[in-house]
Amino acid sequence: MKFLSKDLRGILVRRYWADRIFRLCTVTMFLITLGTLAALLIDVFSDGVGRLSWAFLTSFPSRKPERAGILSALVGTVYLVILTAVIAFPVGVGAAIYLEEYARRGRMSRFIELNIANLAGVPSIIYGLLGLELFVRTMHLGQSLLAGALTMALLVLPLVIITSQEALRAVPPSIREASFALGASLWQTIWNQVLPLAFPGILTGAILAASRAIGEAAPLIIVGALTYIAFLPDSLIAPFTVMPIQIFNWVSRPQNGFYEAAAAAIIVLLALLFLMNVVSVYLRQKYQKRMSL
Amino acid sequence: MADNMKPIASYVFEMQDLNGWYGDRQVLKNISLLIPEQQITAIIGPSGCGKSTFIRCLNRINDLIRDFRISGRVLFKGQDIYDPAMDPVEIRLRVGMVFQKPNPFPKSIYDNVAYGPLIWGARKGPELDAAVEKSLKRTALWDEVKDILHQSALALSGGQQQRLCIARALAVEPEVLLLDEPCSALDPIATSRIEELLFELKKSYTIVVVTHNMQQAARVSDITGFFLLGELIEVGETKHIFTNPTDRRTEDYITGRFG
Repeated sequence: MKFLSKDLRGILVRRYWADRIFRLCTVTMFLITLGTLAALLIDVFSDGVGRLSWAFLTSFPSRKPERAGILSALVGTVYLVILTAVIAFPVGVGAAIYLEEYARRGRMSRFIELNIANLAGVPSIIYGLLGLELFVRTMHLGQSLLAGALTMALLVLPLVIITSQEALRAVPPSIREASFALGASLWQTIWNQVLPLAFPGILTGAILAASRAIGEAAPLIIVGALTYIAFLPDSLIAPFTVMPIQIFNWVSRPQNGFYEAAAAAIIVLLALLFLMNVVSVYLRQKYQKRMSL
Repeated sequence: MADNMKPIASYVFEMQDLNGWYGDRQVLKNISLLIPEQQITAIIGPSGCGKSTFIRCLNRINDLIRDFRISGRVLFKGQDIYDPAMDPVEIRLRVGMVFQKPNPFPKSIYDNVAYGPLIWGARKGPELDAAVEKSLKRTALWDEVKDILHQSALALSGGQQQRLCIARALAVEPEVLLLDEPCSALDPIATSRIEELLFELKKSYTIVVVTHNMQQAARVSDITGFFLLGELIEVGETKHIFTNPTDRRTEDYITGRFG
């Protein structure tokens, strides 16, 4: 036979070598990623872990680094993220449902979708400028929690829309057909069959969006979040600050103590992100299990 | 109007010069066909001959496909179902459909069957339970699933899933049942159970079944229509089509010379 030439071994040896080399390449890439992350975490933890304490979480910022705490920023971040989600989730999911299920396919809808994808890449500071003009000045919301949350909602909206659209698109057409064939209306089909199946995907998008909102500082600085607050926001129009701004503020101080406080705040922020992701994975799996069992 | 069909009591569907296009590609060409009441009409033909497209015109499920359009008339009990005044949702209530691949909802067995009645205004309760039981009994599935009604339908075998899909379609009490290659994803045993079921259902429903399994058409149907390249080549009593076809192309197909 032609293929069983005497060089068969040689071909195989070369093939296995190629395999090994490729494997080595991917392992290297993986280690670079892991190493960078580990370095970051180790650096932050070694600087900040000593500074972590209950008092750090429950104190307001202070001019004295050893007494400075993160309470107002932590509470501000939590409020802001919740408020942002409450605004962005229904609007984003609603827009996605319209685009995916109701809008007629055509040049116009493609153009709109392209623009939404584009908006997801617009620098966040631009959203800050828009928020300043629209919410702070035109709508007279002032430099408030609500203005900040609305700005953040604008920022994450494209992300929510795109991930929701993908989740809706992933629902098999056979499920829609089955529903329509029973005489279900479009609304009944979306509500009873499509949305429950798309929900885990939509949820993932929402958590991703919230994670992005947690880490943003620039647009909020423009909208007018404060850097020093010794009280908690008690209403939607109260002034506020968030953790990234607090961290930024502390890092730019000369005293070493503030540097440690910043590292500790970063740990808190990471823990918050981690918690959110755990919750999303848990919810998603719980929901998917219900769908498939 | 279709000829070569001996008069049978009455007709449920009447197609007049039905043409269908996907974009610019014509997939149905001048189809005229009568579908008799309480009979099984089988549509056979090679892949891509338009038989699925044809059956999907009968409950307007093709409306969901963008850039599909038709011309001609499809009369259901004398009413043109493509009349702008007709509501496709009402047509689908009266004309049920079962698809090629079993497509149960990822919900419990009970919820699958109850979905149709619920969207048509039924309330949860003993009445709905009875309706679900009735549908499952009609498809001979009840004894197999009565203890696991609230478990996921996805845990059933392919054949059971397909019978569940038939039960789901029957739960809204349609007048016609369309089946688009209902056995193509099933093994021979599951297939024969579905075929037995069709015999049983024929007593109370008009059935249209698309199949590319000629033996199946010969076994279950009363009337057979042969499609080729979007045209209805020949239609008549199944016995006649399989023993003494009029058209040369029908003969070539059923004797296995192509397809």
